[in-house]
Amino acid sequence: MLSRPGRTPRRYLGGPLVSFLPFAHALIVKQDLPIPPWLFAWAATIVLIVSFFALAAAWRRPRFEDEGWRPFGTGLSRALLGWPLQVLCGAIGVFLLGVGIYAGLRGTEAPDRNFTITFFFVTVWIGFPFFSALFGNFFRAFNPWRAVGRVAGGGFRLIAGERPAHLSYPQRLGRWPAAVGLLGFVWLEVVYGSTGGVAIGLDPHVAATAAIVYSAYTLAMMALFGVEEWCERGESFSVYFGMFSQLAPLGVEEGRLGRRRPLAAAAHWATLPGSAALVIVSIGTTSFDGASEGAFKTPIEKLFKVFVEAGIDRVTAMRLAGTVFMLATVALVALVYALGVRGMRTVPKAPPLDRLWSGFAHTLIPIALAYLIAHYFSLFVFQEQAQFGYLLSDPLGTATTDLFGTANSGIDFKVLDANAIWYVQVAALVVGHVIGLMLAHDRALAYWPNYRQASRSQYWMLAVMVAFTCFGLYLLSTTV
Amino acid sequence: MSAALANLVLPLAHLGHWLWVFYVIPVLIVVGGIVYSTIRERRR
Repeated sequence: MLSRPGRTPRRYLGGPLVSFLPFAHALIVKQDLPIPPWLFAWAATIVLIVSFFALAAAWRRPRFEDEGWRPFGTGLSRALLGWPLQVLCGAIGVFLLGVGIYAGLRGTEAPDRNFTITFFFVTVWIGFPFFSALFGNFFRAFNPWRAVGRVAGGGFRLIAGERPAHLSYPQRLGRWPAAVGLLGFVWLEVVYGSTGGVAIGLDPHVAATAAIVYSAYTLAMMALFGVEEWCERGESFSVYFGMFSQLAPLGVEEGRLGRRRPLAAAAHWATLPGSAALVIVSIGTTSFDGASEGAFKTPIEKLFKVFVEAGIDRVTAMRLAGTVFMLATVALVALVYALGVRGMRTVPKAPPLDRLWSGFAHTLIPIALAYLIAHYFSLFVFQEQAQFGYLLSDPLGTATTDLFGTANSGIDFKVLDANAIWYVQVAALVVGHVIGLMLAHDRALAYWPNYRQASRSQYWMLAVMVAFTCFGLYLLSTTV
Repeated sequence: MSAALANLVLPLAHLGHWLWVFYVIPVLIVVGGIVYSTIRERRR
């Protein structure tokens, strides 16, 4: 992920540490595994094949087409969705965004000691997908731009005496603005902020400036198309975290909080154009992030040299090489999915290609989550100790404040050992892909009139899942 | 015991960057199986 180490820290707990790389994926080399890492890929493939045949044998009618929605009591909905809590959550969101921007502009340049970088790129970026998949779309309540937009809309109504008139959102755009925004955000973090031998890195000042620019853009779009419309389709973070919340057993429908069959909401998520692109970008960019520190490191350096020899300055050359590989990784993920879709199309009575493309896109959501967990789980565990320790007390990283008395706390790297991280990574990938298979099988049962043909079509999704699993494990095994 | 185990480790280190092949093999087996079964079904 972010790789500029900053200054050597004064504080960490738990034994010797060769160098302080707070944003590296794997802090310790996996060295005591009972079998070579590639054998895990073989074992995962066997698990997927067995799961596939178990699904084919035992799962004969679609279960996820109906969410099984059951609303909670009105009292609970009113308490959790009522305006007092909404105002409080929105205010917290706006305050934290403000702290992030202020710390980025005024704090230290060392990314590991500035609140901004850990807050934006670890706590929010990794935390919300994890917890949204468990508890539903609670980012909606904390979304600072939505809160500001709603207050501005309310103010307009108060002054003008009527609702602001918005442009109608172009339906063909769908979730494409969110997908492009997601790509831009990860590019800023992984490519713009990368080092790779060149002395560049994601400066907290740059992150804060980007947050200001994004805020201005988002508020402008909300003014044009409406707050809820833009949050539903164009605002990258709302759409991205909302995507993971479709896996959760909790949700809000028609203003009421309720429970639903886990995973079932995902089945109806990918109906808008650009939804497949969003989830593909998510998998592709996470893959690239891991690969840029492992499998792609040498090829990126080779391309970098080609650019330098062509007369491009070193910083631009590094960014260009990273951009090329990032786009290539996203294209590769899209290609694997497209091959799976194309394969399904060869089965008799298959729906049209575009319906298959969007109809199975939701099966990639658990894979995107699995990739996130596999790549960032250890980073999250380590870096949250900093977030709720010294970064909370000294957000600027200038050693001038100790707000909660934790400014001298540190990161205990012993809470996870290398093998534990590896096993979590493998488990996340296997479980994520088995869930993906399950969703795909269920959708096939809804699309094909014949049970046998539905199962037959899923041979191709099995190949997609095996390819993604092996690719993911390969990237993790080579990440240093 | 640990020395004996160490001797059992497959001598794959020299394969170096060719280890990716081991990750491709399961994918090829699955795709091969699908292609084979599809061809067989069409011939029926």
